[in-house]
Amino acid sequence: MKLKLAFLSAVFLLCSILNHSYAQNLQVTGTVKNKTTNENLIGATVAVKGGAAAVSTDAKGSFSISVPSTGSVLIISYSGMKTLEYAVGNTTTGIVILLEESASTTLTDVVVIGYGTQKITKVSGAISTVKSADLEKLKPVRAEEALQGRASGVTVIQGGTPGSAPTITIRGLPSYSGNEPLVIVDGIQQSITDLNSISAADIESINVLKDASATAIFGIKGGNGVIVVTTKSGRKNQKAEFTVNSNYGVQEVINTIGVLNASEYAAIINEGSLLAGGNVIFPDLSAVGVGTDWQNEVFKKASMQSHNLTARGGGERMTYFLSAGYLKQAGIVGGNDKSRFTRGNFTANLNFDLTSKLKFILNTTGVILDSKGIQENSFNSVIGSALNFDPTVSKYNTVPNTVGQYGFSNLLLSEIFNPLTKLENTYNKNVGNKLYGKFELQYDILKNLKFTTRFGYTKYDGNSKSFTPLVFYGPLNVDNSMNADGSTVSGKHNSVSHEKTSNFNYTYEAFGNYNFKLKDRHNFETVAGFSLAKVSGNAAGASRQDVPFNSWEFADLTAATGSNSPTNTNALTGYYYQYFKRNVSVFARFNYDYQDKYLASFSFRRDGSNVFGKNNKYVNLMAGSLGWVVSKENFFKSDFINFLKIRGSFGSTGNDNVTPQFVRIETGGPSYGPTANSNGYSFDGVFYPGSTVGSASNDALKWEINKQSNVGFDMTFYKNKFSLTADYFTKKTEGLLFTPSASLYLGTVPIPVANIGSTKSSGIDLTLGYNTTVAKKVKISTALTFTTSNNEVTATNTDGTARILGGYYFNGQSQSVTVFEKGFTPGYFYGYKTDGLFQTAKEVADAPTQTGAQPGDIRFVDMNGDGVISAADQTQIGDPFPDFTMGWNLNIEYKNFDFNAFTYASVGNDIYRAYERNANYSNKYRAVLARWTGPGTTNDARNPRYTFSDVNSNIRVSDRYVEDGSFIKIKNIQLGYTFPATATKKLFSKLRIYVQVKNAFVFTDYSGYDPEISGGVLDTGIDRGSYPQARTYSIGLDIKL
Amino acid sequence: MSKLNIKILGLLLLVILATSCEKWVKSDPRETFQITELDYLRSESDYRTMAISVYTPIQWLNQSVPVADIASDNSVSGGENASDVIPLQQIDDFTHTANNSTLSEMWQAAYEGINRANYLHQYKVKNLAGDSVEFAGKNALYGEIYFLRAYYYFHLVRYYGDVPLFLDKRLGLAESGTLQRSSKAEVYAAIETDLNNAIAVLPAVQVQKGRVTKYAAQALLGKVYLYQDKFTEAASVLEEVVNGPFSLVSDFGSIFLQAGENGPESVFEIQYSNTSPYYNWGGVNRGQGNHSVQQCGIRGLNGSADMPYAAGWSTNLPSQNLAAAYEAGDTRKAATTLDIEAYKNANPSYNITYQVAPYKNTGLYNQKYLPRKNQTSGQVELNYLNNFRTIRYAEVLLMAAEAYNRTSNDVKARDYLNRVRQRAFGDNLHNINSSGDALKLAIWDERRLELAMEGDRFFDLVRTGQAAAKITGFVPGKHEVFPIPQHEIDVSGLSQNPGY
Repeated sequence: MKLKLAFLSAVFLLCSILNHSYAQNLQVTGTVKNKTTNENLIGATVAVKGGAAAVSTDAKGSFSISVPSTGSVLIISYSGMKTLEYAVGNTTTGIVILLEESASTTLTDVVVIGYGTQKITKVSGAISTVKSADLEKLKPVRAEEALQGRASGVTVIQGGTPGSAPTITIRGLPSYSGNEPLVIVDGIQQSITDLNSISAADIESINVLKDASATAIFGIKGGNGVIVVTTKSGRKNQKAEFTVNSNYGVQEVINTIGVLNASEYAAIINEGSLLAGGNVIFPDLSAVGVGTDWQNEVFKKASMQSHNLTARGGGERMTYFLSAGYLKQAGIVGGNDKSRFTRGNFTANLNFDLTSKLKFILNTTGVILDSKGIQENSFNSVIGSALNFDPTVSKYNTVPNTVGQYGFSNLLLSEIFNPLTKLENTYNKNVGNKLYGKFELQYDILKNLKFTTRFGYTKYDGNSKSFTPLVFYGPLNVDNSMNADGSTVSGKHNSVSHEKTSNFNYTYEAFGNYNFKLKDRHNFETVAGFSLAKVSGNAAGASRQDVPFNSWEFADLTAATGSNSPTNTNALTGYYYQYFKRNVSVFARFNYDYQDKYLASFSFRRDGSNVFGKNNKYVNLMAGSLGWVVSKENFFKSDFINFLKIRGSFGSTGNDNVTPQFVRIETGGPSYGPTANSNGYSFDGVFYPGSTVGSASNDALKWEINKQSNVGFDMTFYKNKFSLTADYFTKKTEGLLFTPSASLYLGTVPIPVANIGSTKSSGIDLTLGYNTTVAKKVKISTALTFTTSNNEVTATNTDGTARILGGYYFNGQSQSVTVFEKGFTPGYFYGYKTDGLFQTAKEVADAPTQTGAQPGDIRFVDMNGDGVISAADQTQIGDPFPDFTMGWNLNIEYKNFDFNAFTYASVGNDIYRAYERNANYSNKYRAVLARWTGPGTTNDARNPRYTFSDVNSNIRVSDRYVEDGSFIKIKNIQLGYTFPATATKKLFSKLRIYVQVKNAFVFTDYSGYDPEISGGVLDTGIDRGSYPQARTYSIGLDIKL
Repeated sequence: MSKLNIKILGLLLLVILATSCEKWVKSDPRETFQITELDYLRSESDYRTMAISVYTPIQWLNQSVPVADIASDNSVSGGENASDVIPLQQIDDFTHTANNSTLSEMWQAAYEGINRANYLHQYKVKNLAGDSVEFAGKNALYGEIYFLRAYYYFHLVRYYGDVPLFLDKRLGLAESGTLQRSSKAEVYAAIETDLNNAIAVLPAVQVQKGRVTKYAAQALLGKVYLYQDKFTEAASVLEEVVNGPFSLVSDFGSIFLQAGENGPESVFEIQYSNTSPYYNWGGVNRGQGNHSVQQCGIRGLNGSADMPYAAGWSTNLPSQNLAAAYEAGDTRKAATTLDIEAYKNANPSYNITYQVAPYKNTGLYNQKYLPRKNQTSGQVELNYLNNFRTIRYAEVLLMAAEAYNRTSNDVKARDYLNRVRQRAFGDNLHNINSSGDALKLAIWDERRLELAMEGDRFFDLVRTGQAAAKITGFVPGKHEVFPIPQHEIDVSGLSQNPGY
């Protein structure tokens, strides 16, 4: 503490000296405080309008400044607060300046854009912002969570797996692959994956750049939008400010899926068997009981905790932000032992003024990641097994002379196992170390000309291991690798697999910013520069069989003993691969405004990449925008509207999701590639490997281009209490990669992909904010966001016939449910339409020919009217993407209490239920109880008769499995209490405690766990038993020292 | 740092940048250790290894053998029902259209072979890097390559008539849709050139059995001449093969056993093996095994361990018409058609059970290529080792006989024809003594009896003008050739054959 005092006095002294050097006519002293909390604001800037003098407030929030005369205007600014102008009156001492906290976007803010910042009033592009205040409220595991519902125009679909990346799309789905936005952290290019490494406590703001005018400066990488993350840094002449945030919570599953209990199961199995002409399987139903609820067995209450410690401050020539964070989220499936995400962060952001003109910035973050995972997203995953496994089996194995802790089924003899056995035999670990950051030099050549050069890097080393033990699943199970007596099934081996990955990505950039004014009215902000980037990585892996003692403890390549033989070439295997990508770019932007009234911006980027075809190494992308601040016009006299800006932009950006093409020589045959373009030949019964041309190149291959136009407006009205931002965009993506139809006489070498597809999207982003203080005590701030986007594939192939299938699942047959196809939404659900059930044999006979149909079976719709139900009758049966999403954030503060509630809604998204295995003896979804049992019992196509022999294929892909996945989730409720400053002054400058519930309520008609199902475009909305998001109850502590 | 220094440094930086940028975005597959065409064909071994893969697509022409019999009076498509093996059913019924996956697979496979041969031709003198790689035996190696290219074009011209003809290089995406069909005459001329070039350099004997020899090239050239009615040329080139090192195997049936592969009668065989198991159901004909063998098999066949046959899919069933064509005493009947019921009754110890062919049953099976036990591996349906006996000495004799007969040398024609018959009957009692047209017809008939189920009958009937008379459903003026695959009409803009 003594040291701190000494330090502070030094700072204070320094300030005083500085002040004296500017001594002028009139000395003004005062204090700057937070209007709401009454806290003294340390390090707030107090400047004289139109003059050079500026000071910072000291440790008590006090300042002293010389002004020319009475009537001079002071500009008081502080990060995160609204800037205030104060006209000096007769009082010159003891002035108390109260600053208001700024809401998410207020007019005085600056936003971080590409290669610079811009005052928000001057922005003529479309940008959404999430501030640290929101992140502090939400306490997200991953930073993107905070974008959900808070940043309009951004669709975030979260998954439940601890630490997993959500599906994020900004303004639509241009492609069937690669819709990921670009992520920029403190100016340095990273990826969505890297957001798992940033502690929310370190983030100052997240800006989402949406339209072409904002993203064009990122050129070929900006096509899917850009997420700009700015981390915190220290402030000059600020005393050390320490914060401690601590949060501890318990997670639980929100709901379970209704499956049959043991006696219901037994009765249905009997019925299914009898209807198919088989025997009664369970002769004595009364002996069955309720059995085991496997979902109860696999879902666990799981802990979650996060702790952060930060320090920020600075002296005259140096500022710092230091942070250490720890986060641990155990999974609700299987608990901490089998499923978890752990992260440790250490950050140092340091700024040095090397000379008065030269500034050096050093940001460094080290991250340690540690996770374990379980099999997910399939009928035989842990959750899939819990839903499909035989409920008549007891939890523990009671059969004498058999190994295995948990019970087994004598009916389910493959694929689906006791989920507890499955969990018990899941062994893996993934650890990784990441180091990222930047070195940056800023040189003020002239007053308004700044030259910046920086080197940003991300280094990641991952190390993972998994062990597949020998397992006994039951005496009759065909997947056994261990016999009932614990011996090994002949020909089976346990195995351990290792993989080490290593990536190193870096960007070197140099650019100059030059801002100037002409005639005091024409303001120019320009930037020009270049960038070099390289993404590179490699991975090596090895696996080996025969781990001693069949034990995780000895699961390592060094301990395993397998060696290859002619009959077993898999005993010891290894692989290695590497990749890289390099870009070079030059860019420039030119922003202009006339008296903050007429705005214009133009940006340009030329990108070169090593992955593009040789005829298309470089691309030029540009965009422009115009804005008009109507409210600045003299003729604009409205008491209601305080600020109104109208904006419009148009431009193009790109997407470099291509891989380099070249003519490869396939050697060592037979190597059957995707077109079985094999090589080698047999002479006299002996095979001789050959070599042949194995791939072709398309020299015309290039990037995708997005052409986007945007119109919108920003408005504040009713005493600045309301703010409204609305945007309408249209986006056309050209040059999507597809395999062209080519002449067959070219042979069988895979035809190289070409840029022949296109999509278009359009939509509305809307943010409405409201801030007010009721009765001088209750402060309310609330914001509503609204996001829509309509997407359509407008071209695929030269002949428009190419279709990309996805959404694969297995329910007895391998099925595909999503399609990327011309004329439809990307990834729409494709299958048969149903029209109730056949009630009588006559109905079957009268209907279009449907092979195998009997009364009680589903009647499918003859879409093409050819009188036969065939594959040609498949059609659109759903769309996994919402019609619109909404977010509603509400903050209420009253005295020392604060309350936050955040609600998110997604409307119109369909879900395809794909977790039902439909094997004869697998457990059934509860709806089967309402099945058809005779004419007139039901006509609901979801509930056909139940029989083992499904000749009609009631299980084919149809709208039977499509459900409305619309939902409203109360994502966050938080109630906090800040202890009065008087009570805690001696120990803390601020002490707040809070309780929080995440995913508190979910309102949905969807029958599964969670209507939010993330995945790539072609996997979104396919519920194969996906890991549900947890409900989390937590308590936390925020301390400022 | 003085301002001058900064300026100099800045300038330097710019220069370095400008020069290094081009390199920075250059794509070089070597950086990821990919072997590209730039790295290849730099040694003898590269040339030899790549030549092996010019052979590969002849394996993929697998279905040309069953198709040429199914399309004729020799066999029927069979299968499980009318909607099984639809491409073959349509060919059997002469309802085939341009959308026929078997026909388009063979079209594409033949062109892959041509592209592979062209690629080596393209870099024969100098490789892509501009160096010439010379080695002993290089010309002979190119003899194999030119033979194979001729074989692929012969396949195309027989099946489709006029086809795109290109000989200079492997085509790429840029050439897609740029070619038109060349006339049959032009294609035949190219085939003759290739074969003559091959004959000039190929050895008479190859160390590795299955490689193309000079005789194989001469035999194929003789056949190509016959298809163009160039009988004088045919007689002269075939005579050389007749006088070559080949002999007729006394036991006709033994030719088609594993032990009979690459035997004394073998002039050219398409080689298959079971030593490199293949599993890809997406391209059943693209492995090292012979898929058509599985197709021929008897459904649900079971029996004792010493019963030699394995089960299959009852496709390509020999017709009763074929069986009836054999005279009494002709050993080729039993070696060509297996009457399963008779076989079962004759061998009660085998305890044979089987499923009667459920569709188009003839009671007969393709004995020449019937699946046998222990002759496959991996995915058993795809890996039968049976070679196709593509050109046998017996056929050379029959071709020579035909050529002599058509050039009025009936003595030689009868001699060669009767050599084949004497082997078939094991005596001289069945010799043919006719001349002129009668002899011509006898030779044509003999081709059927000798070569049935070996993939020639349909083309023989077309070539000899007998198709309309012998094949039910055959429309003259249309069915002489198969349709160009619809994809090639749509994408490449080729003209279609008349009637399709």
